Amino acid sequence: MDSDAFAGFYLRSAPALRAYLVRVSGNTALADDLMQESYLRFLSASCPEGGEVNYRRYLYRIATNLLRDHWRRPRAACIEDVPEGLLAARDALSSIDSRAILDPAMARMRPRERQLLWLAHAEGYSHREISEITGLSVAGIRLLLFRARHKIARLLRKRIDSVRGKV
Amino acid sequence: MRFRTCSYENELSQALRDGHWPKGCGQELRAHVDACCRCNDLVLVTQIFQQARSESEHAADDNSPSLLWWRAQLRRRNAAADRISRPITIAQAFAWFITVLVAVVFVASQYRHGLHWATWRSEFIPSRILHQLLLAGTGQINLNPFLLTSGFAVLALLTAFVVYLAWEKP
Repeated sequence: MDSDAFAGFYLRSAPALRAYLVRVSGNTALADDLMQESYLRFLSASCPEGGEVNYRRYLYRIATNLLRDHWRRPRAACIEDVPEGLLAARDALSSIDSRAILDPAMARMRPRERQLLWLAHAEGYSHREISEITGLSVAGIRLLLFRARHKIARLLRKRIDSVRGKV
Repeated sequence: MRFRTCSYENELSQALRDGHWPKGCGQELRAHVDACCRCNDLVLVTQIFQQARSESEHAADDNSPSLLWWRAQLRRRNAAADRISRPITIAQAFAWFITVLVAVVFVASQYRHGLHWATWRSEFIPSRILHQLLLAGTGQINLNPFLLTSGFAVLALLTAFVVYLAWEKP
């Protein structure tokens, strides 16, 4: 991949990757750091064959590994410790509706659940593709995703009801 | 909560992915979604996540692709330089190890034979050593060939190392 091809690929893939990292990590500054590192590692490694679809999947795999490395560090830097209010306040990406409904629900999910939900429902990846990105088994993903979806749907309904109640 | 599958799930997921839900879907599927908790969850979650993703598309990004490209090139070059210098680092570590080992063996052997550190001074007379070497050169004294060969080998190795360092420095 040459410089111009990379510039094009970056412009097409960066917003989606940043959204994934922001939603899953809940921290805009961390997401920016991880995004830079993801692209640097992507460029330093030998790119996979098969065009942009495979490039993207490979990029998400790098980003997912970086997130996992981040969560493996000491508890002080763990996403579980970030308060819900801070999570919502830090994210300047989304609109008021999205912030009011999705972010509080996401903050109550586990990092792995957030990852699977975003990859499946925002990015539209199949179970097999998610398996390639995260390294989990397809059967495990199916079960985890089913539970995570059920859990977040319940939280989202509650949030929607409370937002409607306020209005 | 029990894990169960729904026969409409794949069709519904495809419709949601393609943006055909709800207007592009049949009455049967819509009626099913109203009745099925699992499909209802799928619709709600997918629609909210897709909305969040499309909102994120307009987010500001301060990174420049050309800067990232340049940084990646720099990182690649540094990695290549590290790869090249690794054998030299290993050789240096090995040389240090051998030196320390020889020193330890020497000190241990001296300790076993008694610590007569100052005795070598009385035996060290340069003119006498030179005389011995000259005799050895003319064949009048038989030196141990093994010691002689290994001594010259060590000297050659050290010379080669010094020459290499002298070439590398500029």
